[in-house]
Amino acid sequence: MQKEAEIRDPLILGNKSYHDITKDVSLPVEGKANKYWWILFSLSAALMLWGFACMAYTIGTGIGVWGNNNTVGWAWDITNFVWWIGIGHAGTLISAVLLLFRQKWRMSINRSAEAMTIFGVAQAALFPLIHMGRPWLAYYVFPIPNQFGSLWVNFNSPLLWDVFAISTYFSVSVVFWYIGLIPDFAMIRDRMSAKISPMRKKLYSLLSFGWSGKSKHWQRFELVSLVLAGLATPLVFSVHSIVSMDFATSVIPGWHTTIFPPYFVLGALFSGFAMVETLLIIMRKVVNLESYITIKHIEYMNVIILLTGSLVGTAYITELFMSWYSGVEFEQYAFINRATGPYWWAYAIMMTCNVLTPQLYWIGAIRKSFVWTFILSIFVNIGMWFERFVIIVTSLHRDYLPSSWTMYSPTFVDIGIFLGTIGFFFTLFLLYSRTFPVIAQAELKTILKSSGSEYKNK
Amino acid sequence: MIKAKKYWKGLAELNNDPIVEKLAQNEFVEDIPVDDFLGDSDLGSGSTSRRDFLKFLGFSTAAATLAACEAPVNKVIPYVVKPDEIIPGVANYYASTIYDGHDFASVLVKTREGRPIKIEPNKTATNARVQASVLSMYDSARLKNPMKGKVDTDWETIDADIISKLEKISTDKGKNIALLTSTIISPSTEKLISGFSEKYGNVRHVQMDTISHHGMLEANKSTFGVRALPTYHFDKADVIVSFGADFLGNWGSTDYATDYANGRNPNKKMSKHYQIESTLTLTGSNADERIPIKPSEQAGLLYSLYNDLNGVGTADSRISKIVEALKSVNSSIVVCNSNDKDVQLLVNSINKKLGNYKITIDISNPSYLRKGNDDDVANLISDMNIGNIDALITYNVNPSYTLVNAHDFNTGLSKVGMKVSSSLYMDETATKMDYVCPDNHNLESWGDANPSNGIYTLMQPTINPLFNGRQFQDSLLSWTNNSKEYYNYIQSHYMNDDKHLEQPGISLISDEPDWNKKLHDGYFITENREEYNSDNEIFSAPYFPLLSSEDIEFEISEKISMGDGSQSNNPWLQELPDPLSRACWDNYLTISASNARDLGIKNWNVSNGALNGSMVNITVDGYELKNVPVMIQPGQAVGTVSLAVGYGRTHAGKCGGDVSEGVKPIGHNAYPLSNGGVAKIEVVEGTHEFAATQLHHTMMGRDIVKETTLAEYIKNPASGNHTDLYHTHDGKKKASEVSLWDEHDHETGHFWNLSIDLTACNGCAACVVSCHAENNVPVVGKEEVRKSRDMHWLRIDRYFSSDMTKEKSEKENISAITMYADMENPSDSPETVYQPVMCQHCNHAPCETVCPVAATSHGMEGQNHMAYNRCVGTRYCANNCPYKVRRFNWFQYSDNNQFDYNMNDDYGKMVLNPDVVVRSRGVMEKCSMCIQKIQEIKLTAKKDGKKVADKDAQTACSSVCATNAIVFGDANDESHKINELKEDSRKYDLLDHLNVAPSVFYQTKIRNKA
Repeated sequence: MQKEAEIRDPLILGNKSYHDITKDVSLPVEGKANKYWWILFSLSAALMLWGFACMAYTIGTGIGVWGNNNTVGWAWDITNFVWWIGIGHAGTLISAVLLLFRQKWRMSINRSAEAMTIFGVAQAALFPLIHMGRPWLAYYVFPIPNQFGSLWVNFNSPLLWDVFAISTYFSVSVVFWYIGLIPDFAMIRDRMSAKISPMRKKLYSLLSFGWSGKSKHWQRFELVSLVLAGLATPLVFSVHSIVSMDFATSVIPGWHTTIFPPYFVLGALFSGFAMVETLLIIMRKVVNLESYITIKHIEYMNVIILLTGSLVGTAYITELFMSWYSGVEFEQYAFINRATGPYWWAYAIMMTCNVLTPQLYWIGAIRKSFVWTFILSIFVNIGMWFERFVIIVTSLHRDYLPSSWTMYSPTFVDIGIFLGTIGFFFTLFLLYSRTFPVIAQAELKTILKSSGSEYKNK
Repeated sequence: MIKAKKYWKGLAELNNDPIVEKLAQNEFVEDIPVDDFLGDSDLGSGSTSRRDFLKFLGFSTAAATLAACEAPVNKVIPYVVKPDEIIPGVANYYASTIYDGHDFASVLVKTREGRPIKIEPNKTATNARVQASVLSMYDSARLKNPMKGKVDTDWETIDADIISKLEKISTDKGKNIALLTSTIISPSTEKLISGFSEKYGNVRHVQMDTISHHGMLEANKSTFGVRALPTYHFDKADVIVSFGADFLGNWGSTDYATDYANGRNPNKKMSKHYQIESTLTLTGSNADERIPIKPSEQAGLLYSLYNDLNGVGTADSRISKIVEALKSVNSSIVVCNSNDKDVQLLVNSINKKLGNYKITIDISNPSYLRKGNDDDVANLISDMNIGNIDALITYNVNPSYTLVNAHDFNTGLSKVGMKVSSSLYMDETATKMDYVCPDNHNLESWGDANPSNGIYTLMQPTINPLFNGRQFQDSLLSWTNNSKEYYNYIQSHYMNDDKHLEQPGISLISDEPDWNKKLHDGYFITENREEYNSDNEIFSAPYFPLLSSEDIEFEISEKISMGDGSQSNNPWLQELPDPLSRACWDNYLTISASNARDLGIKNWNVSNGALNGSMVNITVDGYELKNVPVMIQPGQAVGTVSLAVGYGRTHAGKCGGDVSEGVKPIGHNAYPLSNGGVAKIEVVEGTHEFAATQLHHTMMGRDIVKETTLAEYIKNPASGNHTDLYHTHDGKKKASEVSLWDEHDHETGHFWNLSIDLTACNGCAACVVSCHAENNVPVVGKEEVRKSRDMHWLRIDRYFSSDMTKEKSEKENISAITMYADMENPSDSPETVYQPVMCQHCNHAPCETVCPVAATSHGMEGQNHMAYNRCVGTRYCANNCPYKVRRFNWFQYSDNNQFDYNMNDDYGKMVLNPDVVVRSRGVMEKCSMCIQKIQEIKLTAKKDGKKVADKDAQTACSSVCATNAIVFGDANDESHKINELKEDSRKYDLLDHLNVAPSVFYQTKIRNKA
């Protein structure tokens, strides 16, 4: 039983018993998929396949099928990459940082947030691969012993740092996620009938690593969770800092700025929480988790979005100030061009969606509304995509020598690949929602009974 | 095989029931010769198991499959007997001549393993078209066989036919034979033609130029008695006044650019150049002052200039400054592009008045590059139309395309009895001929040339003819039943001909060794020149009133890239951006911004930046061109429009347009509008898509091209070369003195540097084509250029000045946003600067640090290297390049039908430089500072045990630079000129505040203006 102030709102509604939680969590795994799941799944899978086709076309024909050019070498590819990496950020923050801070409300959402992280990072990892001119030689970026003599990777390159940062982040996230899943897999295993579904029972037995719920197991489980949380916490800050260095270490006005590491991390958390909200608001309806994912959870996340959104806005304004204050004409022009040049509309979308609309969360009624939250979370997702587009494309399209200035416009392949990754992401998430315990029920049960429950139930 | 066990099929068999035996015997009605093939008694005792059998089967299937996947066979034919002079991997150079009837150059041809692959200048400078001509030789669209009535035939048939018909014509009284050729500058060809005339009698030889200089030639004939162009010495003039003559680009000799640059050395003497013209030309863009006028005003202005010089009245206010300048100096040049004899008479009088003859203008050593006679051509056409011409032989001309009255020519042609064309292509004229004799390209031919008095150049073949062609001179020889080969003919011409005697009794070429020496040199100069007597000069100054009109006037122009259109099927030239508009693969009507506004004509950029424009129907003198795209061109005089010739070819080839193959012509043919006149312009529906390599035309107030005026420069040589200083803990310092970097070692070995003089560079783009040829730079086509994916390793940035400046915005309190928005618009009559930009070979290279696989890394000698086979194509290097000089292979550009240019053609591929790899898709490429050439000169020097000599250190761009603007050398060798330039107070690094420490540096631009 947890100690909790009586005035706090309950985190689980509906007078659930332990068995209710077990049933609610295992229902999507054990039951049959409903119509909506199938519709969503077919749609996502179709998008995914289209995306794969576009990728195959790119790899088979050349990067020329995209809209990129000699001036704008990166466009939607790296925009999408940074966007997906950013989305992946909230998961680790929720599971690791909030664990260390003993935030109990994370328990209802951390499993899905982490799943989102892993699926998001998987999408992100596609882009550095497919954006290469010769992806079949992608192994050149790994420092592996080779027969090319003393040929080694270039440790000065932020792209190489990316390789390490992303692979570390991805592996730690997967391990952390999996450790948390073990008791829940065991729960599903125990509920499976060996007669009705022997294969599945066997599968879940394997996945649960022989978990039997002994005290020793629980003790080790808690310890490993804590250690991994400690390991994962710095990663929350390192990954996006390193991604930001792709730009910050360059010489291009609009990229070359020291504010980028914190600015990118905040932006990542901002977009990550927005995506968690988007997903959970759908999921609580689709798999009947209204009792566990409550308006309280949404409100907490909205507060984080309000905070990070305001910080991101501050970063934008700091950038503008610094470009003016620097006295460097190239910097000044880069920002004047962002706001008033041919891509002013992208800048306006970014400013509106990331800085202005999240301010609506100052209003309690909006902060505590599922509908408003859903709409605004979509706004943030769009705004954050445009933030990356603005940074990448509007900085590149007009840099130092006006003779090389040009514009960028996406082709159907660019769009197809982006939609494809969204499809791929949702396909993975939908499969996950039918095969994994979507709520960390073992953890959740620890907060079912709180010291104030009697008072609350009055 | 395992010993077979005995199995029984049923109890009956086990029990040896006789029915079993009986049935077994009846299984086959006839006896099967089993014993024959199973007769081998060892078969049963074999040791092959079923598993072994499957192994064998598997192996043989796999082996058969592998054998089927044989690698494609490329045939390499080795020399049976290796020619002495060919060493594989070592280039041979042959001195030769390029003359295509329009462009002339004395050249060195670089051949590798018997293939010409590159053209270098020899006695004269080369322009972009001469540079590109090596690719034109490998054009698979060239004629491959002699043709009779559109059907391939052989030379014997065609010769027999032609000779018998010519003989028949010559025996009939009153029948005429006409030879229509380009200007012939070959003395031996002239002799051949006169031999031809003698043999057949009543032969008329008519010469024509694509861009006629008839007026000037006639004027000189009447003034000096010499029907030729004078030789101009632009280096000796203090003031140069050009009325429309594009002498740096397309007018006159390629050497004028060199002379001009020599006369504009700010450290010695810098001439002042005024250009008075309608259409912005390359020359006009280099002028110190440029006055836009209408074509109709030209003659009147010249007359007012003439009057003022003679003290009769004052010149028009627009040119009063020019008159003052002319009066104040001792030597000057006034040139004019007019094709009107009277105007040119006036120009001659002006030059006479200024005392320019014998100082800056040499009529005693005239140039013979233009001899075309418009009157002869007109007579020929009218005679053809009345049926007076029974045989017409054309050589090196394409009158059906280039004549202003091509229609009359074509109707006349149908009345000619025998029509013969000697040409490289099945062009617009050749398609109308009975007999088409494929000519050989210059690089496959013998020849000679006499470009100006006293100067001779020789042409020698550098490869066996690629096709079944025969050079025209050999055709003439066989048509005159002369069994000599043309080679021997030229030789004997120079050795024995009376007309070409050095002194009485001594010929121009004395003997075989002398011939060999002169052939080796490629040219010779003789003191035995045609005498010129200046006593009989008659000057006249016809009167012209100063006209003014409200009409929009049309004039034709000529592009640096396409010239007269004869090399229209050359993809290098098609993709060479026009220096002024920076557009390629097109011609378009150029118009001033204010006229465009009035007419509702627009140019705009679409979402990927590409340029689109309105289209118009234009009617000049009753001839209408439909759907002509319009480009708004700063510098185009208000009230004038212009269209370049050389486009709209209907029978050029797959690259330039070939209607017979369904390839649309590129652009419109402007030749029918050659006479100019009032233009009626009507805007029509529709949008044209341009392919421009530069979409933004101003410097946006940035210190990219640093410039100053001559007066300021004399006061302070560092003027205009401002460098920002930055605050540090240690006081104010230059960016180059504040560095995070460990310096590379530049003391040991070579340190290659490249200097580009922006005062000398005139933007002629010969270096761009030279770079294409040397480095196997791919052609990507119009669509890709539109997507900003041109592959030029070396580009020539062109910036126009803007009316908005930082000073103006400060003075008038204009906000930064408005200022930058206004700065994007060039002035209507702008100042122009050219800046060649290639990889700057930074010694603190931003690209090198960001490549994850170290595919681009620093060389020991100051270059930034690119290891193509290590590149994975992240494009991070290109993003981080502040100069944006890196070029990505977005597609496979070779052997790809999507890019059907020279790299997708078995002939076109022969021009590839074997020392440079052809890049594959997905890798980044860029200027390598011609690493292959550096390597070669280093090895040669090493073999000789010497240092690399200054003159040998050349890149593709520096070696062809007519004005010596690009200088390459070893900064660690005191004897190299580059050291002097590196210390020059005009020297600056592009974007020096970034401290990327480039190995390429620039010299400030200096204008001779107030």
